[in-house]
Amino acid sequence: MSRLRLISMLAVLVIAACALSLLIGPAQIGPMDSIAALVAGGNEAAMVIMREIRLPRALLAVLIGFSLGVAGAALQGMLRNPLAEPGIIGVSASASLGAVLLFYTGLAGASLLALPAGALAGAAASVLILLAISATQASTITLVLAGVALASLAGAMTSLVLNLSPNPYASYEIIFWLLGSLKDRSVDHVWLVIPLMLLGWAALWASSRTLDALSLGEEGASGLGANIPRARAMVVCGVALCVGAGTAVSGAIGFIGLIVPHLVRPLTNRLPSQLLLPAGLGGAALLTFADIVARTVIPERELNVGVVTALIGAPFFLWLVIRSRRELF
Amino acid sequence: MHVKASNVSVSLSGRQVLHRVDLDLEPGQVTGLLGPNGAGKSTLMRALTGQLACQGEIETGGKAIAVMSEAERATIVAWLPQQRVLSWPISVQSVVELGRLPWHGWRRTMSRADQEKCAEAMRLLDVSGIAERPATELSGGEQARVLMARAVAQDTPVLVADEPASGLDPAHQISMMAVLRKLAGQGRTVFVSLHDLSLAARWCDRLVLMKDGVVAADGPPAKVMTEAVLRQVYGITARIGRDDCGVWLAPLGLTQCEVKDG
Amino acid sequence: MVWFGKRVWTGVVAAVGLFACPVAGLSGPTVASLNVCTDQLAMLLAEPGQLKSVSNLARDPTLSALHERARQYPANRGIAEEVLVAKPELVVTGTFSLHNTTSLLKRLGFAVEEFRYSQSVETIAADIRRMGRLLEQDAKAEAMASRFERELAGLEPLACARKPVALFYGARGVALGKGTLAHSAMLSAGFINMAAERGYEGVAAFPLELLVQNPPDLIILPTTTPGAPALADEILTHPVLKKLRTTVAGNLSRPARLSCGGPFTMQAIHELRTYAPSLPPCRKVPGS
Repeated sequence: MSRLRLISMLAVLVIAACALSLLIGPAQIGPMDSIAALVAGGNEAAMVIMREIRLPRALLAVLIGFSLGVAGAALQGMLRNPLAEPGIIGVSASASLGAVLLFYTGLAGASLLALPAGALAGAAASVLILLAISATQASTITLVLAGVALASLAGAMTSLVLNLSPNPYASYEIIFWLLGSLKDRSVDHVWLVIPLMLLGWAALWASSRTLDALSLGEEGASGLGANIPRARAMVVCGVALCVGAGTAVSGAIGFIGLIVPHLVRPLTNRLPSQLLLPAGLGGAALLTFADIVARTVIPERELNVGVVTALIGAPFFLWLVIRSRRELF
Repeated sequence: MHVKASNVSVSLSGRQVLHRVDLDLEPGQVTGLLGPNGAGKSTLMRALTGQLACQGEIETGGKAIAVMSEAERATIVAWLPQQRVLSWPISVQSVVELGRLPWHGWRRTMSRADQEKCAEAMRLLDVSGIAERPATELSGGEQARVLMARAVAQDTPVLVADEPASGLDPAHQISMMAVLRKLAGQGRTVFVSLHDLSLAARWCDRLVLMKDGVVAADGPPAKVMTEAVLRQVYGITARIGRDDCGVWLAPLGLTQCEVKDG
Repeated sequence: MVWFGKRVWTGVVAAVGLFACPVAGLSGPTVASLNVCTDQLAMLLAEPGQLKSVSNLARDPTLSALHERARQYPANRGIAEEVLVAKPELVVTGTFSLHNTTSLLKRLGFAVEEFRYSQSVETIAADIRRMGRLLEQDAKAEAMASRFERELAGLEPLACARKPVALFYGARGVALGKGTLAHSAMLSAGFINMAAERGYEGVAAFPLELLVQNPPDLIILPTTTPGAPALADEILTHPVLKKLRTTVAGNLSRPARLSCGGPFTMQAIHELRTYAPSLPPCRKVPGS
């Protein structure tokens, strides 16, 4: 499939998902009225619902899904490991921990920037740890196990910090941090996330040629003139920005970065740089659809969107592991 | 392009691996690097291509490689490592196109000229027929040719290859050496390390033998491949002969001791 | 939070109290309360020296209306061991708390009285009287209960064109519907509970969109815990709430008054009523 056709198809999918997300909600507003309220005006309540509740939610699903897809593709390219993704290898959980540490302990004075700052720091720390582990160990299994250990540790410490908080609601909020949710997000969150993610996407795009060269291994890549330490730094920054910004606003959402690159890779020429944009678009579509499912599958209640992505992603992961036993890693 | 190494010393993990090596590689020649395991062959090659820091000076075409950026160096020297790594099942075509990376930098698309270089390289290594196949599904010999095609597509004046013929059957070994000769004939400086003494003696214009981090012998095969040298460097006895095409030799056995005549 | 020092102290006092101070002098039995709601009534009705310990939750400002008063009593974690050490003559607890402990205590021969978790204002007076009877402080209890009933009966309908609609909206989009004490309090105060009207029962997730479609006249938001940030506070700054121009936002000074039923619940009802004059259907038209 040609690259142009792939990207167009995925873009159409994203737009369709977004449109569906805008039209679905507890307040039954007809499609015509919804679009009118979104762009033109008219019924005051409908306008508020569309612009302040549904639009931020749909936009955040697209932005966060895109970032998770791109971050997953970049991590897989950097670590040369098809099982690497921010959720499984503990980057999302570490971002949650960082955010929780800075916010609930009141260290940052409960400022609006405490959450993203903590999340970015947590994500960056985890990527550095994982790069260090993968530098000395070539084995796939070691990396995945290290990531699982990191995710468990981060989850446990998040729970600890929340339980120690003097605020009574804090211990209930662990579900948000570990399983993610896009409920009642506002336009403020969208504005917070956009600059951070743009920087993250730029950093990952800048490293993508070196990721291609790394297909030939580290020696081959440096023989092609690749600056591997710089690419590594770019990937760390890019993943930290993408995953950190998303986690600060929606909690940890996993498996998007695993499923989408795998589904999309066979449709590209498999070079890491060619995978980034399709993985991003696929991630945006997948998260938006998952969010729609989370809102509609049980009437009167909302699931955490991370539950939906896990229900799709965990069996997928298992299937990958089983299938890979027949092939060499 | 001349490659000149002067007084190159490298120590790794506290151990001195190369001792003041001097080397002068000339264009239009296939220079073979031989030596027993642990002689420092890979280390020398890595130092020459700028992968390792070293004491001493290394110049290509009169310019020191230590001051060059990685990108510039990649347009002058193509490095084919010993370990054949392919992380993703990308097509043969994509592998060869990776060789053009140093040339188009920020530009993401390949120009007409890039595509022609790739096609030429693939023709030379006889992999045009398998262009669309995933490189990870090929046999060892085919993979070796594909990776060499990548190095050829890089279109550099200097080509340094670490054991490109290892693990190949005799026919593939010979065709690989024939390709290297052709490249040298185009004016490139070709530097390869080999384990097969007969192959090296027959196909290289010049041989450099290393032992224990120093150059033990340097010159055309006829001069270098003598029983005395083989005894000293490898500790083996061999039958050496000549015919119209060049030198041939067959290792026979180990020497009992190095001083006595064999 | 349990203070180990206090535990030892409880044991010592209990031992001393058992052997040194005669139980005579108190007009009623010694009591230990294991449930935050029974704590409230016990603290209000017990005479000095009668109440041996209250649950550790009684010190939590978000659950206990009398959290300051609770500090003067030793705190228990509601486990049988502590009761064994304190040896009260009576144990009061809730029907929904620590069932294992309750049955164990009964088996060990303690007198245990269980109170149902009071979900409506109508049962508060009866609960006060019952606690008074158990603690043998009948006069005090009667006075408290009568006053409560008088005030409840004396609540006049709000001076509004129609009954105002109110909603308790809390952490992460949760509203209090039918069957909660807050609902009962709202009705007594003269409001309509928007969540109950929509069929929501108990503590239920209430979509923000419905709030926008039919804005209530009064929305009661969570009271923040100073110095302890949580995401729950985000709802207070959500842009949507600013867009609800006809809705008055308020909060309760002591939300715990609606966690457990007691005389203080009346104060919460009065507090709700103070918002009435500022609500659209209740604003006096100038000149009338």
